[in-house]
Amino acid sequence: MTQQTQGSRLEIQGVQKNFGDFTALKSIDLTIEPGELVCFLGPSGCGKTTLLRIIAGLEQQSAGQLFQGSDDISLKPPKDRDFGIVFQSYALFPNMTVCDNIAYGLRSIGMGKTQIKARVSELLELIGLSDHAKKYPAQLSGGQQQRVALARALAPSPGLLLLDEPLSALDAKVRHHLRSEIRNLQKKLGVTTILVTHDQEEALAMADRVVVMNNGVIEQVGTPLEIYQQPKSAFVAEFIGAMNFIDSAPLNGQRVKVGNRELELVRPMPEVQDSVRLAIRPEDVHLMPVGDGDWEGRVEAMDYLGAFIRTQIRLSDVELDLVVDVDPRSARQLDLVVGRSICLHLPSDALHCFAA
Amino acid sequence: MIDSAVLPNRAWSLTGLRQKLSGRWLFSVLLVAGCAVLSLLVLAPLYTLLSKSVENKAGEFVGLDNFARYLSSGGIESAFFNSLWVAGLSTVIVVSLAFMAAWALTRTRLPMTGWVRGVLVLPILAPSLLPAISLVYLFGNQGVLKDWLMGAEIYGPIGIIMGSCFWTFPHALMILLTAMDNADGRHYEAATALKASAWRTFWTVTVPGARYGLVSAAFVVFTLVITDFGVPKVIGGQFDVLATDIYKQVIGQQKFEMGAVVSVLLLLPAMLAFFADRYVQRKQSASFTARSVPYKPRVDRKRDAIGAMVLTPTVIFILAIIGMAVYASFVKFWPYNLDLSLNNYQFGRMDGGGWGAYINSLQMALGTMLVGTGLVFFNAWLMERTPQPKLLSGAFQFLSLLPLAVPGLVLGLSYIFFFNHPDNPLNVIYGSLLILILCTVSHFYAVSHLTAVTALKQLDKEFEAVGESLKASRWRVLFTVTLPLCLPAILDVALYLFVNAMTTVSAVVFLYGPNSQLASVAVLSMDEAGDIAPAAAMAVLITVTCAGAKLIQGALRYWVDRSTRAWRQGTE
Repeated sequence: MTQQTQGSRLEIQGVQKNFGDFTALKSIDLTIEPGELVCFLGPSGCGKTTLLRIIAGLEQQSAGQLFQGSDDISLKPPKDRDFGIVFQSYALFPNMTVCDNIAYGLRSIGMGKTQIKARVSELLELIGLSDHAKKYPAQLSGGQQQRVALARALAPSPGLLLLDEPLSALDAKVRHHLRSEIRNLQKKLGVTTILVTHDQEEALAMADRVVVMNNGVIEQVGTPLEIYQQPKSAFVAEFIGAMNFIDSAPLNGQRVKVGNRELELVRPMPEVQDSVRLAIRPEDVHLMPVGDGDWEGRVEAMDYLGAFIRTQIRLSDVELDLVVDVDPRSARQLDLVVGRSICLHLPSDALHCFAA
Repeated sequence: MIDSAVLPNRAWSLTGLRQKLSGRWLFSVLLVAGCAVLSLLVLAPLYTLLSKSVENKAGEFVGLDNFARYLSSGGIESAFFNSLWVAGLSTVIVVSLAFMAAWALTRTRLPMTGWVRGVLVLPILAPSLLPAISLVYLFGNQGVLKDWLMGAEIYGPIGIIMGSCFWTFPHALMILLTAMDNADGRHYEAATALKASAWRTFWTVTVPGARYGLVSAAFVVFTLVITDFGVPKVIGGQFDVLATDIYKQVIGQQKFEMGAVVSVLLLLPAMLAFFADRYVQRKQSASFTARSVPYKPRVDRKRDAIGAMVLTPTVIFILAIIGMAVYASFVKFWPYNLDLSLNNYQFGRMDGGGWGAYINSLQMALGTMLVGTGLVFFNAWLMERTPQPKLLSGAFQFLSLLPLAVPGLVLGLSYIFFFNHPDNPLNVIYGSLLILILCTVSHFYAVSHLTAVTALKQLDKEFEAVGESLKASRWRVLFTVTLPLCLPAILDVALYLFVNAMTTVSAVVFLYGPNSQLASVAVLSMDEAGDIAPAAAMAVLITVTCAGAKLIQGALRYWVDRSTRAWRQGTE
């Protein structure tokens, strides 16, 4: 019977971190609900790992407070906090067997021998490595080592699980498999989990909520769908998925000017600006035969990416290249080849508008 | 424990309190203690020495008078420049020979390179006095090969250079082997693909790849030769060098302040070499990356023949020197009665402390090994694996490397000034085995420290973090993970300290007391008294002891490797 973990609630209030003159984190506020899996996503140097290490107590925040449940953990050293952690390198103890690695944290809390044995075999079963109990880390594959590191972190039943780029050292196939395995395990145990990653696909596939970070600030917090469909800033729009950007000038009301055309927007405009950036995802642009759409262009390049074709189209009346994803069937119907003239339509409900 | 709920939320109090709460201050306090110990053992004595060099016999400040006196006595022309050119020439010879040997060992397919390596590093087990004594037997007035010198004298620069080459060779070889062992095979394949000749490949791939090793080896050898005292003392004759000059000023003429002056002069080139080497090391970055492919030499008879030709003279020279010392130690009465006997090993009949000195040396070497290994590893662990303020770990790193720049003679002399001072409460240890142990630990601290730090740096940097998340203290991680993983490096450091403690002369020659005579010093005293055969015997005994220690260490390492093979599999 798997031991049910009570996931804890985590509240971060105004956390700030300076390294000398450099501000790594600027006043971070964030609440993570019990049992939730939250991804910190951002480019390298955005502060996501620093924030994770502050939550673990491995770094000290320059200002701000942290609460786990009702407990103020701002000042507590790591060993007095309640978390398990898996590092990118796994940091498995190479001189100990899989068993001893998993039991390490249980011995610290003074658990009895028989209980340790039971708990270890339970975890081994959970990660499906019961046959490898007596092996050393070096004798396991990368994916197996990763699972051992996970079991070691989960053994003392922490309320919070921290994963620091746990999959980045693995090859693509193992990574995909482990993604769903970790997610299932996390749901089963109900442990509150924070996953740091720079891989947007990983974040979108695994997270309940994604925290997109850049330059030490949180750009947006939301479900994967919200982040993808309603990016709040140009950074988020560009970082998650692909995005075309079109510089334009705002007119009165919901209208903008691109080249010598005017466009009506459905989505809200930013506060009054001299210029704005329109944005549209490659899959949201419609291609149609010449004469049908409102914009004319010419196919400049086509890349076959399997499920779809990524085409580059140069618009004829404005200086602009757009990237458009087309499914192979439509491409056949339109007889799409490099050099062909084509028409396109930009649906107004797919147009985002950001401050320039 | 302080109740964290009532803490004021202010940044200045946060840091201090948090450090207290997490017990981090303890590690900093311990490292401060480590700094204090090293300051006491290296910095304070050095300071006393420096201040002594600007004082007269009565202890009054006289500025640079002592230096002026030394200069006007002509010492600078003879000793200082003699030291420089002898050390310079030895460096050129040793580094060339060591480079050729390293090339032959790593870039050819010669058989038995393991044994050849073993022979080539043998000199490291012998005191530097041994080659000097051997050279006397080989080329001295009654030497078997005296004619080879065509009338030239072995007593003087020729002898010093030959002797220095013998004992510094392994140091250069080991640095160059490290630099050349991990060659990237891809570079050689690229050179072949670009139709470069073997000669051009050598100059464009092999030599540039070893350039940092060459520079480093040159600095090390230069420093070793210029600060060595054993070889010039035995075979230098009337040829003055700085190291023997210090000895003469202090032991011969009891002019301590002049000894201090010469020490400062000796400190200068050694310091210079030290900082130059540090500078070069900093520029060096690892060229062998995870993507590199180890170089495997292809079949090439001609190249292998050149390799054998390059190695043979060096191997013969080393075996001849050691063989001569061993043979001479058993000969009844050189060169008149060549019967073999153990007479020369009856040290009780000669000066120098006899077998008691040998026992003292063993005790001193074991003490140095235990104290040194413990101190070095504990401090290195504090510096590398516990949270420390940058300034503190920087200061500690400086103090740890400083001994590398301080010649043994200078250190020994500064210990006299510091520990023999009547006002120093520590002067009770003067003349005891303990001061010899402390001095030797300090003398060889830097290299041990670097070995320990290298081993600790290789461990995953998150071990302690994982430990803390699993509620294990740093101490538990230290004993269950860090120490077991560092065992090979610990054994290396232990052997290094033992061997050097057995063979060193330079620092301890000023410090031994009536009850703490040492074997290596006994070699010197017996040689001085004309008992050259017993001196050879004692030198051989020291070498055999070191070889024994090496065998024990080798067996232990083999055992460690075997019992840990399971978990090392695939990682190395």
